[in-house]
Amino acid sequence: MSVVQRKSKENEWYLSGIFAGLWITGKHLVKNLLNKKQMPTLNYPEEKYEYSPRFKGNHVLTVKKDGSLRCTACMLCATNCPAECITIVASEHEDPTVEKFPIHYQIDILRCVFCGFCEEACPVDAVRMGPEWQTPGINGAQFNYDINHLAYRPQLKGGIQTVLDDEERHKSGI
Amino acid sequence: MPKCTINGQEVVVKDGATIIEAIHHNNQKIAHYCWHPGLSVAGVCRLCMVEIEGNPRLQIACNTVVSEGMKINNTSEKVKDAAKWGLDFHLINHPLDCPICDQAGECGLQDQYMEFGKYDPEMAERKVKKKKVVDLGPTVVLDTERCILCSRCVRFTDEVSKTNELGIFNRGDRSEIGTFDGKELDNKYSLNTVDICPVGALTSKDFRFRQRVWYLKDAQSICTGCSTGCNVKVYFNKEGLFRVKPVFNEKVNGYWMCDEGRDIYKFVNKNARLLKGKKKKPTGFEEFFPGALAKDISSLVTADPGKVAFVVTGQFTNEEYDQVFSLWTKKWGSKNIFHWLNSPEKQNEFDGLLLRGDRNPNTQGLLKRLKDFGISTQWKDLITKINTHEIDTVVVAGPENPIWFPDFKEKLASLAKAKSLIWMQSSNHPEFENVPAGTYLIPLKSFVEKEGTFTNYSGLDQKFSKVTTIVSEALTLTEACTLLAGENLMIRPDPNVLIAAHPTADRVTLEHRKKNEFVFRRGAL
Repeated sequence: MSVVQRKSKENEWYLSGIFAGLWITGKHLVKNLLNKKQMPTLNYPEEKYEYSPRFKGNHVLTVKKDGSLRCTACMLCATNCPAECITIVASEHEDPTVEKFPIHYQIDILRCVFCGFCEEACPVDAVRMGPEWQTPGINGAQFNYDINHLAYRPQLKGGIQTVLDDEERHKSGI
Repeated sequence: MPKCTINGQEVVVKDGATIIEAIHHNNQKIAHYCWHPGLSVAGVCRLCMVEIEGNPRLQIACNTVVSEGMKINNTSEKVKDAAKWGLDFHLINHPLDCPICDQAGECGLQDQYMEFGKYDPEMAERKVKKKKVVDLGPTVVLDTERCILCSRCVRFTDEVSKTNELGIFNRGDRSEIGTFDGKELDNKYSLNTVDICPVGALTSKDFRFRQRVWYLKDAQSICTGCSTGCNVKVYFNKEGLFRVKPVFNEKVNGYWMCDEGRDIYKFVNKNARLLKGKKKKPTGFEEFFPGALAKDISSLVTADPGKVAFVVTGQFTNEEYDQVFSLWTKKWGSKNIFHWLNSPEKQNEFDGLLLRGDRNPNTQGLLKRLKDFGISTQWKDLITKINTHEIDTVVVAGPENPIWFPDFKEKLASLAKAKSLIWMQSSNHPEFENVPAGTYLIPLKSFVEKEGTFTNYSGLDQKFSKVTTIVSEALTLTEACTLLAGENLMIRPDPNVLIAAHPTADRVTLEHRKKNEFVFRRGAL
């Protein structure tokens, strides 16, 4: 690798470059002090940036009207996942119209690359990427999210309801 | 022997052969559901339409006999259109269950739809709802909605298993597969109906929801369930084996295999295996690497080979028998080799189709080799010799699937009377907990982890190759006996290994690569 040095009038002399830099810094300092609203930076922990509602953050498993999981354990998300961070164990449901459901659904969030392929692959709107983006944890924190965290964490207030309803689909004969 | 032309290719077929058989033997593709080479012709799915020159309308290939000079075409637009709209009728009442259906990935409907279908459905009516998850019997679950009424399973129970449990009930779009009241689909071959079902209507209780089929790789092997030696495909991934399906072999098993043979994968998976070499002490087991343990205790065998007995079951390959017997007889001149077969009174039992009472895949091979090496020993001699201390050490090559050996506990107890017992076996057994101190357990490789030849009941030699590795430290019988004889294992270097023109497949990376191949081909699927 080679470093390209551009030769121009500004950087031909040492001091002129320094003053040019200082001029730009000073200009922005004064500008930001006079017009605080247009300042591009935020006082992070106190102020937070509002992302678009379509932001792809941490995963959410949606629930049906009765609060049970929407996921049918078809494993399409796990198949589609390029990071291979989704583990699902399917089981037989006692209700024959549901038939199959996951008894274990785990996302290794540290492996996840937040590509959103799982959301795209899901045929039943069971997994979504939520707006949550701050997921800190101290040493020993659990980053393998299980069903309890993905579907019923306190921030979701009882779970996000899916838009797809099996009962209505059955009624309309699909 | 009439001659016909299939898609411009001249083919000579057998007398009385149907068009679909001719196409099948010529390795050309044709869409079909109800036709199966092992069953009679039903002609109900109307998908195998072909164009015959001089015939104004399309004909079904499965029920039309080839005549001299027939010109058949199954690639024209007219044929594809017929298959497409035939498929539309099949899919009218078929539910959109693919995400939860076990057949997804190997489903006839999915395959044909991708090849011939891709239409906008023109049915505005509601789908007919039927019963889901019907318990047909101990092995099979039925979903009546998904059934396309090809009647393969009904014909199977009529013609092959001859148990007549299944039938088609009701009429029109309400017709469904079912069993008569109070009767269950409970026969020794019931899981074949799951194999031949082209859709996910019949699913196996054992395999249900355990894996999606696209996560599994398959490889051909030989069933070790009995002396018939059915050719099988085992489906596996890095977690182990998941199911076994039959492969067509005219000389051995035809298209079928029995339900008990499908359980052989359970003895191979890690949870049923001996994983480490073990030495029983009064306080419990001490674990060793299998090879190191075998080498360690070689002094027990080599000190006085005349006082050592070798007990062998019919579960090992011909190559292993050859090498081990020649080690025993030629090196030591010992003829203390005893064979142990499961329930000798059942040896000649046969259920008329496939399953035999002799539950060893290689009894014929073992008996032949015992004869070749001039060994004719009786089991009761072994017991008396142990009791009179004529034999100190007993080396046992135990069965892979001990549940088919009803005398396992009894044999283990009688052999444990010897001064030291070396038990080599692939699978674990609860009885091993009760063996006396001073017993050694050495894990062996199972049939999927080695290659070799089995001789089946009729004397047919069948070669099989290695499928995968489950317990990597386990030894083959040859390796274990070589180490017990105090010798080192010879690993012959492959002369071609460094030559780029002969690359050997790296098994470890290959498994990962195979999975990734699927991921990269995502768009194509």
